Parts: sequence; C-alpha cells; structure tokens
Amino acid sequence: MRSILALVRKEFIQVFRDPVMLRLIFVSPIIQVFLLGYAVNFDVKLIPMALYDFDRSQLSRDLARSFSVGDYFVIESPRIPLQRIEDGFKQDRYRVALVIPEGFSERVRTGRPAEVGFWVDGTNANSAGIAIGYAGTIVQRFNERHLPTRIPIEMRQKILYNPEGRSVYFMVPGIVATLLTTITVMLTSMAIVREREVGTLEQIMVTPISKTALILGKTIPFAILGFLEISAALALGTAWFRIPFIGSKVLLYGLALIYLLTALGVGMLISTLCRTQQQAMFFGWFFTLFTILTSGFVTPIENMPSIVQHITLANPLRYFIKIVRGIMMKGAGVGDLYPEILAMVAFGIIIFTSASLTFSKRL
Amino acid sequence: MPKAVETRDLTRAFGDFIAVDHVSLEVDHGEIFGFLGPNGAGKTTMIRMLCGLLKPTSGSGMVNGFDIANQAEEIKRTIGYMSQRFSLYGDLTGEQNLKFYGTVYGLNSRQLRARIDELTDQLDLGVFIDRITGSLPVGWRQRLALAAAIIHRPAIVFLDEPTAGVDPGYRRTFWELLYRLADQGTTLFVTTHYMDEAEFCRRVCIMHQGKPIATGPPHELVDAHGEKNLEATFIKLITQGATGTG
Repeated sequence: MRSILALVRKEFIQVFRDPVMLRLIFVSPIIQVFLLGYAVNFDVKLIPMALYDFDRSQLSRDLARSFSVGDYFVIESPRIPLQRIEDGFKQDRYRVALVIPEGFSERVRTGRPAEVGFWVDGTNANSAGIAIGYAGTIVQRFNERHLPTRIPIEMRQKILYNPEGRSVYFMVPGIVATLLTTITVMLTSMAIVREREVGTLEQIMVTPISKTALILGKTIPFAILGFLEISAALALGTAWFRIPFIGSKVLLYGLALIYLLTALGVGMLISTLCRTQQQAMFFGWFFTLFTILTSGFVTPIENMPSIVQHITLANPLRYFIKIVRGIMMKGAGVGDLYPEILAMVAFGIIIFTSASLTFSKRL
Repeated sequence: MPKAVETRDLTRAFGDFIAVDHVSLEVDHGEIFGFLGPNGAGKTTMIRMLCGLLKPTSGSGMVNGFDIANQAEEIKRTIGYMSQRFSLYGDLTGEQNLKFYGTVYGLNSRQLRARIDELTDQLDLGVFIDRITGSLPVGWRQRLALAAAIIHRPAIVFLDEPTAGVDPGYRRTFWELLYRLADQGTTLFVTTHYMDEAEFCRRVCIMHQGKPIATGPPHELVDAHGEKNLEATFIKLITQGATGTG
C-alpha cells in the first residue's frame, strides 16, 4: 500500500516538474473544447445563395424574399451568367442557386404548375442535405400562402434534448470521452516505456514490490489526471458554452471509472509491446485515432457501412460516448444505459486483466 | 549455512545466442567477488538472472539460499542491485529518489529518515542530496545510486559496471566505499572490465563468450599464468580462449 503511494507521489512530482507535460495535460483540454466547440460546427446557417430571377415579377420577388427571411440563406445577385453558373460554385461564391424562369408568375396565375430550379453544391453532403431541407420548407410555406385552396397536413415538430440543434451540445460530451481515452492511453504507455528506456523500470523490478502494487502505482496517477481533464472540459463546457448537464454527475464519474479500466489496460498493453517512446506514441496515436473515428464522435455510426458498424461494436469508446451523451444531454440513468454499461464492464475486465497478466516483473 | 551465491551449470540463451553458458560458481558471504570479462561476455545477463530479472534457460542457482527459478521475489528482498545504467530518476532530487526506493523496500518514514542520514554520512552525500540528480556529475550520481541500492541493508549487492564512465581518481573513492560496505559484512558481486579494480576483489571469475575460463584470488591467477599483473593474465587468457582454473 505504501509503495503504491510512493509510486503515485513520484509520478506527480515528475509531472509537475515537467513544464511540457503540464501544458500538455492542462492546456490541451481547454484548447480542444474551444477548438471543437467553435470550429466543428455542423449548424448550417447563412448559406450564400445566387439568385437568377428571369421572371422579374412581383411574385418572383416574393419567392426570393421568402428565402432571405431568417438566417438560412443570404442572397447574392450573381455577376456570372447562368450559362457559367458552375464557375460560381467552383470559386465558392455561393453554395446554392435559385433559378426562377421567365413566365413563372404567368403560369402560377393561370393555374398551371410552375417550376423553379435549385442548385446545390454537394461537396459536403451533410450541409447540402440541410440546405435542401430549408428550401423545401420555404417553398412549401410559399405555396400555402399563394395557393390556399389545398388543405395542408401540418407537421408539428418537437425536437428533444437539443432543440436549437447546437453542435457544441453534441461535441463537448464527445470531447469528454475522447479526452479521457487519449490522455490515459498515451500517458500510461509513455510513462512505463520511458522508465523502461531510462532503466528505472529495471531498478523497480529488482525490488520486492508486488506486481499489483506496481500496476496500481503506474495507473492511478493517470486515472487521477484523466479525471482532472474531464472535469476541466466539463466545467468549461457548462460555464462557457452553457451546455446543460441534465443527468447525474456521480453516475458519469462512476462509469468513467469503469471505462478507465479499459483505457489504462490498453496503455499497459501498449507499453508491454513497445520498447521505445516513439513506438508507444505511434501505437497510442493509432489506437486513439481508430477508436475515435469509429466511435460516433463526429459521424453517426448509423451512417457507416454495415461492416464498419459491426466493427464499432468492438470499440469501447463507442459505448462510453453514448453513455456520456446520454447522461449529459438526456439525463439517462443506469436503467436506460445498461447494455452500454455491461459492454464497458466486460471490456474493462477483459482488457485490464490481460494487461495485468502480460505485464511482468521480469525483463 | 548456504553460500551467498551458488550456481550450477547456469545457462541463458537468447535464440541461437548463448549469453551465459553452463556457469558454476560459488560466492562466500562477506566477500568481494569480481566478475570480469570483455563486453558481451555475459556478465550483465548473469547478474540479471541472479537478481531474478531473467529466467535461466537451464541450470540452477541459489542466492541467499533462495532458488532463482521460483523464489525471485524472496531474493529481491535480500539483495541490492546497481545496474550498468544510471537508474535513479533524473528529474527527482537525491533525497526524493532515496525516499522512493526506501518506501518501495518497505521502510517506514522514521526508519527512512534515520537510514538516509546514515547513508548521507557514510557515503558523503551531504552536498548534493537536495539537487536534481540528472544535473549531477557521473561520480556523484553513482554514489547516490549505490545509496539507493543499499537503502534496505541487503545481504548481497550486485553491481554491474558501477564505475563505467567515472574518472580514475573517483573510481578509487568509490572502491573505498565498497570496501567499507564489505567490512560491515555485505557480500559484493561486482562486474568490471577495469583490471586495476579487479585487484581489489578477494576472488575473481574471468568470463569469455559466456563461459568462465578462470576463477580464483587475483594474485593466484597471476602467479599460475606467470604474468606480472592481472591485466596481462586477463589478456593472455582471453586471447587463448583457454579453459582452466587458477
């Protein structure tokens, strides 16, 4: 017990004496939350729209104006002729274009179906889809106003948990989960491999310290640092970005502890595989990148090809991200999350046990 | 009473390479035993096996009456180890290092305080114990590493090239410390390739390509081979690659 404390104390003295490590541990979560909170923004607003109005009637101007209501589209009068409309897309002058043909109002007035063209830059499929959605709604409303004879079916939406659709609400819980993964996997593996490189691990191995004490002493410091990290990220998210935290903080931290078994276990496994810090860094980077990409952190798992969806089942981070989002955004409890919790417990036990078994006090 | 160290045909192979090849030797309690040989002779591998860091491929060995094959943890309680590399934490002070290793060896804080004071006195650590060890000159680091290796009063201390890279004047000081330690009854198992140092040992074993080629008190080896000193004897033995005991 005292040797575990000695190891933990030693690790903290080392971390706090190293300015590079300190910056890495305490400044990186702040930067990540700010960067991903502001930069990774899927909110599609103020889309630049080119307007080609060949009808030049009261009705066509009305239609165009209804596109400019709200923050959805910003109308730009194109200086490029319609024949070269694509140039505008290539030069990124606008993302969508509305083309109202000559005779538009004439057709509407005489009761014949009229068509307008809507061009969308599909490079980013996600924002293209959203732009089409906006345009569809606008045209529908326009129809209702000008052709009131039809009986419309009105859909009343109720968006739960994130009614304003703010990406930052979705991103910050994800950051909390990925930060905990990155920091614990990287720091644990690096700390053990560094000691192996320097030779201090050999010195510890000739002491009568028990294997359990050695493993706990080398993992507890990084578990504590991981908790500090996610606390910093959570504090920043709730205080600065005003993200609601609906569920139980105790439950979140409790489940984070279970998840740590997996993350620390992976760190230890990497350290037994690697001889140098560069190797450990590469392995750690590969592991975190792979788990983050297949975790649903940015792209929804449902959008992935079915084979990849099956692979994500083997990704412990996938469950943890779902848990963090569930607790923070929806106030989910143990009863709602038990499949994910079971998966994490299983991962934790399997990975930490195999890491402990492979970790040897011999060279 | 069992010998301090006793091995019988101790062998360790790494793939096809046999680092230690059927080594049988005995070390008495309280003696300074020199384990000599050129680089690659298997000295470090031998020490690592005796310290329980490496499993032998075949053969057997006892340290302080414990079997190296299955009592490694018991052995670790009774030995000290000073490896070839500087194995203290370079970003901690000397005292933090000693406290860390002392605690790991199970000393409580009162024992630790008393032991650190004692070692400070005995090894003359006073001036640099509060300094970050990474910035110390090699000679001082070695003294601190020795202090860490003996903080728990081990019966045997294994020292692997303890004076490598240390200037000659300082090497002498270090050996005086080892002598004092041996006077108190500690067994010292030392590897070196400095032959002048080997003359300080009560008995030496000369290793060549994993095999012991001569064992005995230094002066007897010198006489038996009709050479003027140990250095010449060593060169003669190594170049012949001969087997024999002195």
